[in-house]
Amino acid sequence: MRKRSKRERSGPPSAISLYVHVPFCRSKCPYCAFYSLSPTIGGISSFLQALEGEIELFKREGDLPRIRTAYIGGGTPSVLSLPDWKRLISILERAFTFLPRAEVTVEANPGSLTGEHLSLWKDWRVTRVSLGVQSLQDEDLLVAGRAHNRRQALDSMAKITGTGLSLSADLLFGLPGQNLRSWGETLREILSQGVDHVSIYQLTLEEGTPWGERPQNDLAEGYPFYRWAQYYLEKKGLLQYEIASFARPGRWCRHNVSYWTGGEFIGLGPSAWGYMNYERTRNIPDLAEYCLMVSRGNKPVCYSERLEGDRLASESAILALRTRWGIRLQDLRRDWGKDWPERMNAALEELPRDLFRSSPGRIALSRRGMRVGNSIWERLLP
Amino acid sequence: MKVPIERIRNFCIIAHVDHGKSTLADRLLEATTTVSAREMREQILDTLELERERGITIKLVPVQMKYRASDGQDYTLNLIDTPGHVDFTYEVSRSLAACEGALLIVDAAQGVEAQTVANAYLAVEQGLEIVPVINKIDLPSARPEQAAKEIEEVVGLDCSEVLLASAKEGTGITQILEAVIRKVPPPSGDRDSSLQALVFDSIYNNYRGVICYIRVANGTIRTGDTVTFMATRKSFQVEEIGVFGPDMRPVDELGPGEVGYLICNIKSVEEARVGDTVTSQRIPAKSPLPGYRKVKPVVFCGFYPIERDEYPQLRDALEKLQMNDAAIFFEPESSTALGFGFRCGFLGLLHMEIARERLNREFGVDLVATAPNVIYQIRTTAGEMIEAHRPSDFPEASQIEEVLEPFIKITSFVPAEYVGKVMQLCQDRRGFFLEMDYITPQRARVVYELPLAEFIIDFHDRLKSVTRGFGSIDYEHSGFRASNLVKVDILIGGDPVDAFCFVCHADRAYHRGQEVVRKLKEIIPRQLFEVSLQAAIGKRVIVRQNVKPLRKDVLAKCYGGDITRKRKLLEKQKEGKKRMKQIGRISLPQEAFLAFLKAGDEEEE
Repeated sequence: MRKRSKRERSGPPSAISLYVHVPFCRSKCPYCAFYSLSPTIGGISSFLQALEGEIELFKREGDLPRIRTAYIGGGTPSVLSLPDWKRLISILERAFTFLPRAEVTVEANPGSLTGEHLSLWKDWRVTRVSLGVQSLQDEDLLVAGRAHNRRQALDSMAKITGTGLSLSADLLFGLPGQNLRSWGETLREILSQGVDHVSIYQLTLEEGTPWGERPQNDLAEGYPFYRWAQYYLEKKGLLQYEIASFARPGRWCRHNVSYWTGGEFIGLGPSAWGYMNYERTRNIPDLAEYCLMVSRGNKPVCYSERLEGDRLASESAILALRTRWGIRLQDLRRDWGKDWPERMNAALEELPRDLFRSSPGRIALSRRGMRVGNSIWERLLP
Repeated sequence: MKVPIERIRNFCIIAHVDHGKSTLADRLLEATTTVSAREMREQILDTLELERERGITIKLVPVQMKYRASDGQDYTLNLIDTPGHVDFTYEVSRSLAACEGALLIVDAAQGVEAQTVANAYLAVEQGLEIVPVINKIDLPSARPEQAAKEIEEVVGLDCSEVLLASAKEGTGITQILEAVIRKVPPPSGDRDSSLQALVFDSIYNNYRGVICYIRVANGTIRTGDTVTFMATRKSFQVEEIGVFGPDMRPVDELGPGEVGYLICNIKSVEEARVGDTVTSQRIPAKSPLPGYRKVKPVVFCGFYPIERDEYPQLRDALEKLQMNDAAIFFEPESSTALGFGFRCGFLGLLHMEIARERLNREFGVDLVATAPNVIYQIRTTAGEMIEAHRPSDFPEASQIEEVLEPFIKITSFVPAEYVGKVMQLCQDRRGFFLEMDYITPQRARVVYELPLAEFIIDFHDRLKSVTRGFGSIDYEHSGFRASNLVKVDILIGGDPVDAFCFVCHADRAYHRGQEVVRKLKEIIPRQLFEVSLQAAIGKRVIVRQNVKPLRKDVLAKCYGGDITRKRKLLEKQKEGKKRMKQIGRISLPQEAFLAFLKAGDEEEE
């Protein structure tokens, strides 16, 4: 075997990542394909109970690893009430040991976020809040079916920075009727609110969503929006460190970076994904089923896959190429075999040079390359 | 029950397409109770699915009928149905060789058409007795006297005893059968001399091997005999002989004048060539029967499997098709864009299309056909003569002294009011006017000489459309002539792509080059780099366009849960590209590529 697992290399991982999926939203956005349902008192209570049960199932397999990054996502974690949040925190604290400087992110929506939430999070160990701003134009928010408006978004942002938490804003482009001027305006205002981190993503039509089934008219072409963000955010000091992510130096999301660099993570909650020992698993995307399976002492997993050999190597390369740092040829050689740098070069050889950032010993995409990532990554599939 | 040779009649039906040949054949089968009313269906002799669909006859099916004539005697009538389309003149000529007489069917409303004349002349050439029949007299627009006059004046046949019929309504059928007995001479042949039987067609059957359609000229053939095919010198034991009634019915022997089939476990068409003479191994005939008019394919195109690994299947299918259709020619070729395939030769465009459809339907082979072309003769500056079956056979422009292309003489029968339009069409297709006359004040005969290349594109369709369906054509080859032809290369990203290059008249090179480049620009998906498209004659670029590079193609966000899904999307995307044709650095979607080749067929309006 030319490849050694990470465990063999460095012993048991000292710390890994944790993802918790809170499957509740006040309202469902017409483009969203994530699993969520309306928050009911009974539903939330069952969820929390099952979550505790799921952790117990992990414990049976051995000591839980320590946590270096955690991400409480959803859904909308901020729809949980303060008592529910307290319960969630105590469940996690009882089970896991967090590293002293662990990065802990909570996802929140302007409509449901309160100052009490923020204080509670801050007092616990939350370091950053990822706020689903999407846009600061009321027309956009209306079109996107969001439950908040511009004023609430500005208000939430001010509260977050006021609490001293690091603020990340999610922005959506390519909405029907959106134009470059309004997009530019949103970016400008976001920056004036003191964000450390911005994630931008283009509206994609997913199967099983209302817009996926019935696409909207006059969807904006995404290119100019993306390009403008690349230009403007970098100019304002937010470096693009990944296809969809921009951050002030040192403020990139370590949790997400670990996804792109093959880090292991435990996924908890319905529909949550996890990745341990080269095995990727998905929990069942149904709260009732999830609770039932856990109560019967079964792992609530509905899908798992284990990648090996070239498929694993190519996935790793593709993920790494999402980031500013790209791939270190030395790592490629070490992890996947000495012919891999050669194979990568061959696969990318014909492409124009300006799609890549030149740095010795590394392959990374330039800004231009990031715009056409899909076509480049495809060449790296085995 | 066998009848003596004096009471056998072998005849065929010849007609212009759509003059009612197959319907008349149906009526004859009914009248002689060869097929019961229960079994009867339309176009019963057209066995190919394709024939029924298109309402045309491609393969000959010989059928034996028993008939008690008005003289009280029983006769055996062998009817050989023939194809009517001009592409299949070869098949017509083969069926004629097995007959002593022919019914010449003329539509009472339309009168004599181009192929009426052409087919009648073929029959006269073979020494056949021709019985003119005016069909469709039930039509309100029928003008039987006019049609009879045209037969006399244009074809030159005596119409004093012309038969009037309506195959559709079944009138005049008995008279036709009686006329066949009275006018068509019985076959001559010597029962006691050594066997000579003509293979006038053959089909390939998966279970029984090659089935030869034979017409015995002299001697007899029996089951169990050992026979020799004189051209190939191969011998076989006769497994089964029989007649068509119209399905295969085994008999013990076939004697002089009789028409039937022969099965003797022949596995390869090479061993039983159409046109060969079968004789007895024990007492071989001294000489074979006169062969057929040899045909040469005139239209060529490349057939390539859509899935590259289906090359062997395509080869097998072509081999089998050739067993059924000896006029098809093929040889392996390869193309940078299309991989391995075959250069195939056909008698005409319809023939080509039919071959393509049969390969698909009967053999399940999905294929791409490149734009059809003719054979060119190229005189090089070194004084050599090169035959080019495809544009890529052309030498470099600097080495070409002159290019000759095949011409045809086309004869068109058109209503007088459309003469101008037909002449215009011929002029547009680089035609040379030869002659024109009026058969009647309403109908004219227009004769032009035309490059075959201009004809094969869509000339027939265009003629039909400018004459509102009333024009008919027949053509014959009239040799090669020098033309100002150039080969136009199409370059994608600087590399010439053979599948797209073409030969055309110098005056049209720019226009057509522009067309091709424009269409390519539409179908080539954006790549990560700019792609140049050029049309060039030799080194001279006449058209140039660029496909701008792809600007955005990202998978938006990708967090923990999305990784598997994103990978699967990428894999799907890549899988989709596997079906793309790789041309140099460019991948073209298979569908777009096919659409392009298809559009090429209809090019040049």
